[in-house]
Amino acid sequence: MVFLTSPAWIRAAKPDKFWRRRRTFRLSAHYFGRARNCYKTAIIRVEKALSYALVGRQQKKKDMVQLWEQRLEAGCAEHGTSLPVLRQGLMRCNVLLNRKTLADLAIWEPRTFKVRGSQLAME
Amino acid sequence: MMSLPRRLATSLLGHVRSHITSATCGTSSAGKSASVLWSCRTLSLAPGVSSCPSLVASLRTSAAQLGSASYQDVQPDYEVVAETENKITADVVSQVNRSIADRSTGRLFAVVHINGKQFKVTDGDLVVVQGQWPPALGQQLRLEKVLLVGSADFTLLGRPVLDRGMAAVEATVIEKSLSHTKTIFRKKKRKNYRRINFCRMPLTTLRINSVRLEKTVDQS
Repeated sequence: MVFLTSPAWIRAAKPDKFWRRRRTFRLSAHYFGRARNCYKTAIIRVEKALSYALVGRQQKKKDMVQLWEQRLEAGCAEHGTSLPVLRQGLMRCNVLLNRKTLADLAIWEPRTFKVRGSQLAME
Repeated sequence: MMSLPRRLATSLLGHVRSHITSATCGTSSAGKSASVLWSCRTLSLAPGVSSCPSLVASLRTSAAQLGSASYQDVQPDYEVVAETENKITADVVSQVNRSIADRSTGRLFAVVHINGKQFKVTDGDLVVVQGQWPPALGQQLRLEKVLLVGSADFTLLGRPVLDRGMAAVEATVIEKSLSHTKTIFRKKKRKNYRRINFCRMPLTTLRINSVRLEKTVDQS
């Protein structure tokens, strides 16, 4: 009788402990204290750091939107109006510039942005 | 540089809007618009708008024509724009047209829509487009979705995009590459859940060769 399943039970040997740990240590190389060299501490810190990195990448997008809105509010305030009014006006005019572009215009093309303000006020 | 008279933005925007959205309701009152003017820089363009005088007629389109009973009682809150305003509009258009025809607009900037994102570009800019995007290395592109073209003296604004063939934004694909590796690590405590993935975004770098205006305003 031939046992077909038994070879499947044999697993490839893991690499040496040094190489397994080195992957983590390379990520913790710049940490302070025992988190740099003690594996038990390092793995905890590295995993937490990687999780934070993921959250941070998602948060960055929200932060940028907030920043653009803040800049736009400041730009609108200069012309005596508010952001909701601006957005509403542009929407009604079927002008589909996004917040990023509008913030860019407010900073770098003030004359263009100024007339955006007059346009919305006509709504 | 061409210098347009100040306070000329007028209700041109209102005109064009009403023309395009005549099925709904264009609103613009002469007094109201005059009070909010700051500068003459913007000229709003809609694809298919051909002549300004006909716009006044479209202003008369009433909200009542929408057919909904609830709209019947709504009084139109617009007035027919005064002749002077029409003249101002025509003046602005002709001055803009002249500077386009003379090629005296100076350096132009444009807002283009590429792969779901908007970029403000001008001659010689580098633009990095993230994500999958078909154009291959070395291809010459003409970016068609132009939302806005601006110069020192005037701004042409698409609703939402400028007429095809109006603005020529030409670009060359100079690099197709991948971003740095992002590690996507997820872990749930005490739940025996741990996933690690690695991701590299495709990046396309564009060189903007030129931003030009090829047609005059209201030219079909």
